Amino acid sequence: MEEYVFVTPKMDSKEILKRVRDSKKVFFTSTSMRDAGQSDYKNRIRIHDLLTLAPLYNEMGLFSAECHGGARWHVGIMNRKEDPFEEIRLLREAMPNVLLQTLVRETSLWGYRPYPKNIIEYAIFRVDIDVWRCFSFLNDIRNMRTVAEVVMSKGKIFEPTISFTDAEWATDSYYLGVVDEIISLCGSTKDIILAIKDMAGVGTTKRIGRLIDAIKQKYPDLIIQYHRHMTDGLALPAYLSAAMAGAKIFDVEEDSLVRFYGQPPILAVEAYFKEAGLDTHLNRSIAEEAVIKVRDWINNYEWAESPFRGFDHTVTYHRMPGGAFPSSFEQASKGNFLDLMPSILKVMSLYNKIIHYFDVTPGSQITWVTCSGIVNKYVKEQGITGVKRLIKLLEKFIFEKNQDFDAMEEKEQEELLNLFKNAPDDFKNLILGQYGRLPAGWPANWVYKSTFGSEWEEKIKSRSDKSLDDVSNIEDLERLRWILKDAIGRNPTDEEFVLYLMHPKDTIEFIEWREKFGEAPLVLPTHVWRNGLKKPGDKVEFDLWGKPYCIELVSIGSEHDGVIHVVLLVNNKTKVYEIMTPQAKKLEKKMAKRQNEIGSPVNGTVWRIGNPERGTLSVGDIVHKGEEIANVEAMKMENVIVAPFDGQIVEICVKLNELVEEGQLLFVIDKKVKEEKHSEIPADS
Amino acid sequence: MERTIKKVLIANRGVPAVRIMHTCRDRKIPTTAVYSTPDRLAHHVYMADTAIHIGDAPPAKSYLNIENIIDAAHKSKVDAIHPGWGFLSENPDFAQAVIDNGFIWIGPPPNIIRLLGDKIQAKKLAQKASVPVIPGISPVDNVEDIKQWMRAENVSYPIIIKAVAGGGGKGMVRVDSEAELINAFNQTKSEAQKSFGDARVMAEKYVSHGRHVEVQIVGDEFGNIVHLYERECTLQRRHQKIIEEAPSPSIDDDLRQEICFAAVRLMREVKYVSAGTVEFILDAPNRKFYFLEVNTRLQVEHSITELITGLDIVGMMLDIAMGKKLHVKQSDIRPNRWALEVRLNAENPRNFSPSFGRITRLLVPQGPGVRIASGVYEGADVPPYYDSLIMLIITAGVDRDDAIRVMDRALGRNLRVEGVQTLAPLLLAIIRHPAFRAGEFSTHFIETHMDELITSFRDRNSEDEVLKIAHYVAKISALGPPSWM
Repeated sequence: MEEYVFVTPKMDSKEILKRVRDSKKVFFTSTSMRDAGQSDYKNRIRIHDLLTLAPLYNEMGLFSAECHGGARWHVGIMNRKEDPFEEIRLLREAMPNVLLQTLVRETSLWGYRPYPKNIIEYAIFRVDIDVWRCFSFLNDIRNMRTVAEVVMSKGKIFEPTISFTDAEWATDSYYLGVVDEIISLCGSTKDIILAIKDMAGVGTTKRIGRLIDAIKQKYPDLIIQYHRHMTDGLALPAYLSAAMAGAKIFDVEEDSLVRFYGQPPILAVEAYFKEAGLDTHLNRSIAEEAVIKVRDWINNYEWAESPFRGFDHTVTYHRMPGGAFPSSFEQASKGNFLDLMPSILKVMSLYNKIIHYFDVTPGSQITWVTCSGIVNKYVKEQGITGVKRLIKLLEKFIFEKNQDFDAMEEKEQEELLNLFKNAPDDFKNLILGQYGRLPAGWPANWVYKSTFGSEWEEKIKSRSDKSLDDVSNIEDLERLRWILKDAIGRNPTDEEFVLYLMHPKDTIEFIEWREKFGEAPLVLPTHVWRNGLKKPGDKVEFDLWGKPYCIELVSIGSEHDGVIHVVLLVNNKTKVYEIMTPQAKKLEKKMAKRQNEIGSPVNGTVWRIGNPERGTLSVGDIVHKGEEIANVEAMKMENVIVAPFDGQIVEICVKLNELVEEGQLLFVIDKKVKEEKHSEIPADS
Repeated sequence: MERTIKKVLIANRGVPAVRIMHTCRDRKIPTTAVYSTPDRLAHHVYMADTAIHIGDAPPAKSYLNIENIIDAAHKSKVDAIHPGWGFLSENPDFAQAVIDNGFIWIGPPPNIIRLLGDKIQAKKLAQKASVPVIPGISPVDNVEDIKQWMRAENVSYPIIIKAVAGGGGKGMVRVDSEAELINAFNQTKSEAQKSFGDARVMAEKYVSHGRHVEVQIVGDEFGNIVHLYERECTLQRRHQKIIEEAPSPSIDDDLRQEICFAAVRLMREVKYVSAGTVEFILDAPNRKFYFLEVNTRLQVEHSITELITGLDIVGMMLDIAMGKKLHVKQSDIRPNRWALEVRLNAENPRNFSPSFGRITRLLVPQGPGVRIASGVYEGADVPPYYDSLIMLIITAGVDRDDAIRVMDRALGRNLRVEGVQTLAPLLLAIIRHPAFRAGEFSTHFIETHMDELITSFRDRNSEDEVLKIAHYVAKISALGPPSWM
């Protein structure tokens, strides 16, 4: 069995790459723990279940497991309440032989905004990952510089990735140019893996074979990994064609996890390759066990699947990436415009002939928000016939008039000039070069006229094609850390700080949630995680920190004054929980959290607001540092509340003689603004 | 003159009431408990043979209401009253009222309580008995008098301002500089009025890094006075003791003899009867001690003395109240163990904010060397109106290390309280601290080491953690899956 494990995290990255390069075999990366769950299940698959695969992966002979990054990061914090750092630790323990792989969006890493160099360095140094797959939705390789430097200086494997689509402007020579840039950035063909990210699943058999062949002709030493989604239904032949052309590593998932938009099924790919005469590296019998293992839990996620199921060959027009499929449908469903999806997909396919970039985060979000916005606006103003007219208009413009704006009639021109009037800010930033250089040049002038109105010429002048690496400044990490500390009321750990840098608002909520509900996301099986216990006598058993525990439902009371009493047996001992319904929560006592919020130091009675010298204080009063502003009595001891700084009382949150809890918000004080002596100088905005 | 006690009313609640009932049970003496409205279902009520309601929640309406308690004593046909500690235990008017109503007062005579309860008088008596005292001034009416006294006697900051009628750590404020003087003075006066109904305050030199050592005394009506050796009560927070031990690790045998006999000298001077404690401030590096005050009552920490001497102090108080002679001579009293007591207060261990509510789970430490006096049971409420002490945990061993080891087991492995917060994490952090282990500490130990102590709290254990998980299960069971699911 040991022979299948051919690379491990303990090896030097050069040694790992040499072994792959020197081997005649084809290798696999499992994306089940990251992309597979994203494309068909909106990232809802929990580490609790994925961990059951880890011991099998440990022996399976995978090149790597992509288990980290992309949207899994954000959804982990926001919804699953799993910490990506915690996931890595669990996986390392359960599969120490396996290289762990992440997916980063160049300067945006795992977040949604470009980060400055110091944040990129800070974050990458704290994340224990072996293979760093890095892509740019503009294929602007310059933006990868910092990530490449930090990853390679850490001695980890850097995997620069070209975003692939099938468009008339995306020619082989275009991609070869991108590869040239990558090689010149990384200095050598031997120290990296090149990935081709076919995120929508649109590479045809011939096309992908030809491209890989062209790259291998030019750079025969380069290890190529092909990442493809199955959306068009033609993934397997495309894989074989890529393998025949010399691609070395293929992204796969368990056959039982496969739905429609993720990566191809591992057993099928292996058998297909074998039949074609390729030597694959995989412990097939263990891979079969993993396929069976998935069936233990996959049915618990039916609710998370995309509402539209089935392959979609029209993806070759609209190019929505596999990872965005279920979440777009979810948004359409939530926004009550699921019936508009065919129109939106149609508009997307026309839109991407006007503005050229790659539909992958954040590009895919920009496409989605812009196009679904346009369609929704048309429906609102003109009904579905209006949308049909718009599609006809765009088709005429693109196919008949070859995008010659002047060739359109005046009325049609007018309509086109209204097209991007309400486009989102991210769209505006994109066409002004704030994300980097567009891969096939700037869009036509009429797009700017449509987006910016009379300011369009000015805006075009401000357009920049500098790399983000050149323009982004250093941010003050200590200040950011202080903001987080202020929000959570204690010193954050370095890991919590990294989470915060990526997703500030959601991280604060995540930390508060975990302080309240502990390790529930890690130990509870998925049916209990989602539905709780339903009938009296239902129970859930689990191990926590090496000891067995059992939680059994005794009863759920009916709602009374917004509270539901739930009686549980926790290891046979009765425990009653008062659960507040969403309405009751609004009446919850507010706690002091921020620097300028003064909380009660003890449980007690506020018997004085103000002090004997000044008497009662009220909103608007100026208070001075160290001055007593209230007094709370508890068990006959007086507790003086003093103003922590000079300031003005903006809110008094308690009444005299009110019983307060420890930490309960008493005052909000605004830091006093120093007398403004230079008030004649106006602020610039 | 011998008297018999057939039934005792305990004019107290919580831990002291329960402790006294234990000895009464041993003696087969029935007990009557008194209770305020919120204490109707309290532990001491159920421990007693009968119980009588004496008023509403505020102490002044119940446990401090002399008239109601005397009424209760008549109603329940007791022949003696034990005041416990706190509340009316050092109130001479109450002792007098008990006697005037024909009941036996289990404690020192009212005139002795009055005499020693006045800190100015007590200090004079100590000087008379050749017991060293701390420089001070009392009573003081204004801040100017304090400043003048400090100049006249060449006293420097810090000083302490306290209620003349005070005790038990309430109504005491330390002053480190002249800037704090006015606020401290006003605060003490206000607290003194609230807690003791007497706004008089006094000022004293504050012995920095002083240790607090006290001597247990028992005397009978026949002038026999013995000491039961000393206790170390240095570990305090806000002037309230939280860990006590006996013997004191800060003194050697010579100093021990000196302090114990100084205490006996003072108590002989006043012809003390019943159990009482003479408190001293010890300036350890200089081997000097100063008289602080006499507590004319049973003290919280009496149990450690009981454990090292094998005597039952409450039992001795009963015997003395019945007019019996002490059954031990000084030479019979030979401590042969080391004992440690911690006060398990229902408080936030980080900031000592009281934590009241219902005790939803209570697992009491057990095993060799552990003694418990609990004022609560599983399901009991901790009301916000009274002292936050819910349980005394006392351990004994052949030496100090042994007693600490047992305490570590009791606090760290056995004890579990849910529903209210307790000082347990802090207490455990203290007894594990190297300075405590080495016996090197002062009354500032907790303030000085607070950050360090807090960081050594075991912040998570699987018992607490599983309750959070259960909370999630309860929530999701009641409300259904959140929208994203």
